[in-house]
Amino acid sequence: MSSLIGFLSLVFAIGINFYLILSRYIFKFQKQKFNFFIRFSSLLTLLSFFSLMYAYVVSDFSNYNVFQNSHSNKPLIYKISGTWGNHEGSMLLWLCILSVFSFFFSFTKNIDRNFQRLTLIIQSFLHILFGLFIVFTSNPFLVNSILVNEGLGLNPILQDPGLAVHPPILYAGYVGYSIVFSIAIAGLFQNTDGEWLYVAKKWSLISWTFLTGGIALGSYWAYYELGWGGWWFWDPVENISLMPWIAGLALVHSLMMVRGEQAIKKWIVFLSILCFSLSVFGTFLVRSGILTSVHSFAADASRGIFILLIFFIITGFGFLVFLLKEPKKSIALNLLFINKVSALVINNILMIIATLTILLGTIYPIIIEVLYNKRISVGGPYFNATVIPIMIPGFLLMSIAPILSWQTNKIQNSKKYVLGFIVLSILVLIQSYFLDFNTWGFVGLLLGFWIILASIIAIFSSYKVKFSIKFIQIINPHIAHIGVGIAIVGITCSSVFQNELDFNLIEGDKFKVNGKTVLFEKIETTNQINFQALRGKFLFDIEKNKLKEIEVGKNYYPVSKMITSEAGILHQWNKDIYFILGDQKNNEWFVKVLINPFVSFIWFGVIIMMYSGFIAVSRR
Amino acid sequence: MNRIFILTPLITLLIICLFSLVYLLSGKDPSKPPSALLNKDVPIFESSSLYNAKDKIKTKDIKNKKTLINFFASWCSPCKIEHPLFFEIRKKHPELYLLGFNHKDPTSDAKKYLEDDGNPYHFVGVDSDGLIALEFGVFGLPETYLINEDGMIIYKYMGPITKHILENEIEPLL
Repeated sequence: MSSLIGFLSLVFAIGINFYLILSRYIFKFQKQKFNFFIRFSSLLTLLSFFSLMYAYVVSDFSNYNVFQNSHSNKPLIYKISGTWGNHEGSMLLWLCILSVFSFFFSFTKNIDRNFQRLTLIIQSFLHILFGLFIVFTSNPFLVNSILVNEGLGLNPILQDPGLAVHPPILYAGYVGYSIVFSIAIAGLFQNTDGEWLYVAKKWSLISWTFLTGGIALGSYWAYYELGWGGWWFWDPVENISLMPWIAGLALVHSLMMVRGEQAIKKWIVFLSILCFSLSVFGTFLVRSGILTSVHSFAADASRGIFILLIFFIITGFGFLVFLLKEPKKSIALNLLFINKVSALVINNILMIIATLTILLGTIYPIIIEVLYNKRISVGGPYFNATVIPIMIPGFLLMSIAPILSWQTNKIQNSKKYVLGFIVLSILVLIQSYFLDFNTWGFVGLLLGFWIILASIIAIFSSYKVKFSIKFIQIINPHIAHIGVGIAIVGITCSSVFQNELDFNLIEGDKFKVNGKTVLFEKIETTNQINFQALRGKFLFDIEKNKLKEIEVGKNYYPVSKMITSEAGILHQWNKDIYFILGDQKNNEWFVKVLINPFVSFIWFGVIIMMYSGFIAVSRR
Repeated sequence: MNRIFILTPLITLLIICLFSLVYLLSGKDPSKPPSALLNKDVPIFESSSLYNAKDKIKTKDIKNKKTLINFFASWCSPCKIEHPLFFEIRKKHPELYLLGFNHKDPTSDAKKYLEDDGNPYHFVGVDSDGLIALEFGVFGLPETYLINEDGMIIYKYMGPITKHILENEIEPLL
């Protein structure tokens, strides 16, 4: 029953969007209740999504999708997250978020009515494309042809609280760019000058903030669930999310800086189209099964071709409009050797090069396989060697960009910055001298601390410190950059200064990690609701009274016959001690211990960036 | 000049879509990588017959004739599914040399399997320790390789072959 309601409301919502477009362009109705219909279709899509969720929650195995991806033994949270833990459901979530964005956009005040409607019409067009995709190739409401009373289970690796919220947040980022895309296209069509930029800024900030959160959650999950000790692997799926993120970053900055210059406006339109295109392209790559990862649920060529078509239509349409309709009215670019505008232009160029470099590395294997029928993989070494050096000058520039002037080459208080930079360089050099000197470590630390220091100097020397909302909003760009600086320090330390120790141990063994004694207490197996757990218990720092227990092991999921590894992590503010339990051989267990210094700084930095994102949204 | 800049995204889009489309239509499955040995010479191997240990087969014995090599085992149930097709191939293409490699199987089980289901191969080589399969880069049983007269691997299929694959992919190469 819930499947029927879900399917009907999904189809009905698509119908309404068809009606909206037809009534406007074919029948030329001047619709009075335009917003009503948009909101109604959004609510229907939500209803459709919640009926699927309901089917998951009550384990309604007469729904084929639920049967394939759920199990009545699962805890409630994974029943709910199972809704989007599969291809069909996640596409419905995508559509649902698209409508939610349309829904909220229809409430935007202080913008031209016609402009708002045109934007929503473009959203309707997107809704139809993705809606038809779901109905024809990925229907989550198919009825199970056989009568069953148990399901096949959710991929155990997805049974994790972090992953339960990762897709909705990430999608809010991806799909949020649809609104930015629609706004930019509508802006091109209507030539309403300037006004749309303010609207676009708000929505692109929202999308970017969600995207940041989604990526960070995904990478945090990879950190503790995959048990490889790292948090970023340049996996194609990660790259796909990074591309719209960097392009979105360029977009947000351009939107903040634009003062009516035609060149920048054009660039903003380009970036708006690019961001959403990259999001759809990512969906295509993952969902077509061209890339294999935990995200590709089932490879199906017809789905792939359908999404490729959607990608082609959206991107082609976007760039075609961009080609034919140019933004009018121009103010020339005020480029100086070093002022805000030139810093912005340089940063944008760097970010776009970085995006294209990642794009090339991601699609290169596809091109090679088509041409030479050879499988190659482009991984960490390529990206580390290309993307990071491209980004470095950008990071350097960003430390001072917020205090640059619009009109002149002068930098206020430049002496303080020079002094700060010299002192910092010496300090970092001394620090690297006492630790093992590593070029990347030195560069990363200097860069990270420099961004933090320069931002702090800027806050204290340029503004009067007082505690008001306005002050918080004014210093917000600096705060965001401090977040980036902290994240860079975390990234550098955890990757360059990572330390790896291997042990072969029997129960009761004691060993030293970082000068502290660790006791391998015991191995035990327990039965949980939906898995069997094998756990090695370690007691950290047994010489002190405050014992810290670390549990590390593996889970066996009988329903899907899969084993997942569960890393044991001891979080300290300045390092994570990361335990991985290997195989057993002659009573000895192989245990790997990784010491990841300052890894928490990465997450802390990301949280600051997200905080700044939200503050910036609130600022008018 | 300016137009070229604006056209670039459209051209890039076309190129990306074209390659992706070709990739999708060629039915490539990323979970099954193409063999590194494709279009390379057959690895050097030596194996003795399942029925007579003195009867050997070497790489040079399959030169100058088209050969279909099939890795199978009595314990492999998908092998059982494709098995009857080899009789069909032998009937339709008598000139094709069918070489079976019995993979990690007790001799008695292998013999019984070929007795029950029939033996379509011209020669059944023993690969009891799986070393030959290792040389060929066998991923999982069954796997089938087509070798041309020059001793080059021109086709490889992972998993049980089907009538469709036989007619559309293997026979055009014969």
